[in-house]
Amino acid sequence: MNTEQEVLIEAREVEKRYPNGTLALKGVSLAINRGEVVCIIGPSGSGKSTLLRTLNALESISSGEILMDGISVHAAKTDLNALRTHAGMVFQQFNLFPHMTALENIMLAPVEVLKLPAAQARSRAEALLAKVGLADKAGNRPAQLSGGQQQRVAIARALAMQPRVMLFDEPTSALDPEKVGEVLDVMKDLAAEGMTMVVVTHEMGFARAVADRVLFMDRGELVYQDAPEAFFTSASNERLRAFLGQVAAR
Amino acid sequence: MRPASPWWRLLTVALVLLIGAGMYWATLKVNYQWRWERVPEYLLVTGGEEVPAPFDGTVAVSGKQIRITPLLGGEAQVIPEIDVVQVSDGEIVFAGNTVGKKAGITPGPLLVGLWVTLKISALSLVFALVLGLIAGLGRVAHNPAARDLAAIYVELIRGTPLLVQMFIVYFFLGTVLNLSGFVAGVTSLAVFTGAYVAEIVRAGIEAVPKGQMEAARSLGMSHWQGMRKVVLPQALKRSLPPLAGQGINLIKDSSLVSIMALTDLTKAGREVVSSTFSPFEVWFTVALMYLLLTGALSVYVRKLEKKMAHD
Ligand SMILES: Nc1ncnc2c1ncn2[C@@H]1O[C@H](COP(=O)(O)OP(=O)(O)O)[C@@H](O)[C@H]1O
Ligand SMILES: [Mg+2]
Repeated sequence: MNTEQEVLIEAREVEKRYPNGTLALKGVSLAINRGEVVCIIGPSGSGKSTLLRTLNALESISSGEILMDGISVHAAKTDLNALRTHAGMVFQQFNLFPHMTALENIMLAPVEVLKLPAAQARSRAEALLAKVGLADKAGNRPAQLSGGQQQRVAIARALAMQPRVMLFDEPTSALDPEKVGEVLDVMKDLAAEGMTMVVVTHEMGFARAVADRVLFMDRGELVYQDAPEAFFTSASNERLRAFLGQVAAR
Repeated sequence: MRPASPWWRLLTVALVLLIGAGMYWATLKVNYQWRWERVPEYLLVTGGEEVPAPFDGTVAVSGKQIRITPLLGGEAQVIPEIDVVQVSDGEIVFAGNTVGKKAGITPGPLLVGLWVTLKISALSLVFALVLGLIAGLGRVAHNPAARDLAAIYVELIRGTPLLVQMFIVYFFLGTVLNLSGFVAGVTSLAVFTGAYVAEIVRAGIEAVPKGQMEAARSLGMSHWQGMRKVVLPQALKRSLPPLAGQGINLIKDSSLVSIMALTDLTKAGREVVSSTFSPFEVWFTVALMYLLLTGALSVYVRKLEKKMAHD
């Protein structure tokens, strides 16, 4: 656990109802400390993605409140573009920009949003590509990269904004099994550097090894949370036990 | 796949030749006098600028040299650079009368018409693309007013015939705003084509996966930045083939501007036909000239597509 215990993100009784009536979040409250790595697990459709996407306001909320660095994310007056620069997001499907090279993907937002001079954005992007082990792929289009490489570029793209927190939505779920490790390694390095991370994942090994805390969601509720050791071995929660049993059986 | 037998190609050629022969046979039945040899002069007129006589005088012609002796007395003068002599020896001319033509060729009525068609089409296309882009963005905008306005525009234009729109623009707007035929023509073609471009742009934008805009927004980009830098480049690339089709339609539709007292290629064809009695040759030639324009556009767009596929 981090020693500072300074809260970076706080969600209070967040409810999310989609326009079609689906109640995806039923009053979720949680706090994430600076430097903490939090993994969220749970069955498909339990609201994990929805929760993650409300944190940077890619989804609106129906009631409750989310604070990031003390700023109310969903307040009408909040400058969402500025706020989102502080929260990097990595998607299951990578969502790289296909018409740009790896380097251009990473440079785009620093140039467009932070108004960084191109030369500076370029050297930042090159450094990040080296960091994720893809220095030699700077000129490649996404279509010329494997899934694992694309996801590493996507991580570098998010890091280029120098965010305070990184949000990962099942970053390895769309990858071939042999490519999962290279992405998780990059994420482990990030965690070791002290990056605050919220990771929706099915990789129990990663959660166990890297997380400071693991959250279990089910049917739009935050059902259980604990340190990984206790979470995976001695948790007494019914629904969690059942879910872990199912995952183990697969 | 197994390569198709070359015999199919041969069959195509044979069928085309057969159809051509059939048409030729049909014209024999109507006893038509083909005069293809006259077509070139509708395209290019030989003989350049006409040269007037400088004063009243008597002409002396030898070869291509014209010499005029003033009626009022004085030095005889040689008219320079005459290529086609149009007076005869001993004739009396008055100041301003044409005595001959300089060397050179000038475009004939069909080429002049082609140029007008090209100008109208190119200008209309540029405006149609701009208009269509704006309306297409309006169709996918969050703002309900922008969405509704764009939808009304598209439905109104697509629901009425171009010819009727042209009558309205030319006779109503043209009269109220005092528009020239050219401006009225470009306006109606651009407004018409813009509605179709808007639908192409909208479809292109909607075909870009939602995750693209989300990724852009998650990086702190505004909706407009994401649109401009991420979504539109991908959407327009996808839209290129249907846009090319729309451009070709525009060139063909431009033939309707001949109702606006504009001598475009079609109108020029009509004028040549009415003064020469060679309708078949002229209309075939006009069709070929349209084909050249549309063909050039397709080739250009295909090149553009290839280039965009590479980078
Ligand atoms: N855009 C949407 N519109 C309507 N319902 C949605 C939308 N996205 C997700 N949902 C629903 O909300 C619930 C939670 O979905 P999600 O957050 O994606 O779950 P998870 O990521 O845990 O699989 C599900 O019932 C899902 O069908
Ligand atoms: Mg999900």
